[in-house]
Amino acid sequence: MPNGLTNGDGDLLRLISRGDEDAFLAFYRRYQGPVYRFALQMSGKVEIAEEVTQDVFMVVMGSPRQYDSKRGSVSAYLYGVARNFVLRLLEQERPYLTALDDPDSEYADVTAGDQDLLADLTRNERIESLRNAVLALPPAYREVVVLCDLHELDYAEAAAALDCAIGTIRSRLHRARALLAEKMRAEERCAV
Amino acid sequence: MNEGDLKVVEGLRALAADGLREAPVSVEKRLLGEFRKRQHTRRRNFWLAGGVGAVAAGVAIAMLLGIRPVPVPSAPSAAQVDAQQATQADDEVAGNFYPLPDTDYLPPMDSATVVRVQLPMSSLRLIGWPVSEERAGERIQADVLLGQDGLARGVRFVE
Repeated sequence: MPNGLTNGDGDLLRLISRGDEDAFLAFYRRYQGPVYRFALQMSGKVEIAEEVTQDVFMVVMGSPRQYDSKRGSVSAYLYGVARNFVLRLLEQERPYLTALDDPDSEYADVTAGDQDLLADLTRNERIESLRNAVLALPPAYREVVVLCDLHELDYAEAAAALDCAIGTIRSRLHRARALLAEKMRAEERCAV
Repeated sequence: MNEGDLKVVEGLRALAADGLREAPVSVEKRLLGEFRKRQHTRRRNFWLAGGVGAVAAGVAIAMLLGIRPVPVPSAPSAAQVDAQQATQADDEVAGNFYPLPDTDYLPPMDSATVVRVQLPMSSLRLIGWPVSEERAGERIQADVLLGQDGLARGVRFVE
């Protein structure tokens, strides 16, 4: 996602508030990809990613002046809105999700372990394995990894998106990477 | 950063590059449909507010001038309107009531009140009549049909 208040974002939002369809379309096309990917990487589900993308831009459509440039970039604002929708949907789906979403679950480890015992870990499989490992992180760690490592936001932007302190981002990212490293080591041991 | 962390970061970079996916076109279509719907409602509300405002201004002026509303017990049927027309002064000609724009969503009228007011000629534009700029400021006599809720439903012009 473009960082900072890129040229034209403010103008586009003003035009959207006046009902300009072209401005809305331009804004949507500029930001739909990152919003969709964020939701997909957070949930692992295409349906949730689609729903969240739609909901985020419905918010923009309904109240384009809600964005406050003093509180961060447009990207951070959109990630923040998307994050709230994702967490809400994941909470609603919780009873139906597999235990993959629960890092403390034995089932999550057994599933990943079984797959990896049988698999010759090619690059794609390693990526898939890492994707699953990210999805298995608790949401508070997952969102930091997705924003900082997958979407390359800096700490300040991630803090603005998640409405928390920069120190919190830094410590969560450190902890999240440690959890992922631990998981990868475990998988390598299983593979040997 | 230790070796394990480096491996993770490297893997995450590969993961980031791997998944450059976009929302399906159907999402864009749904959003555009919703945007158009909202704009339509917005325009309708704008004209409704304008219409009600113009009539309210007319009613307020009428009240200031001491013109009393003429209560009608129920929504005027064709017969009532005919009778009403018959009671009008011989030199007065009043047509049918024209519905004001965007009044479809209002509840049906149980009773109605007709208020005789003076309106600017520009009000005729609300019901789609062309009015030139030179005549827009001229006054015209009109009957405004108000529902039981006090909201204007229609207007007719008296010559």
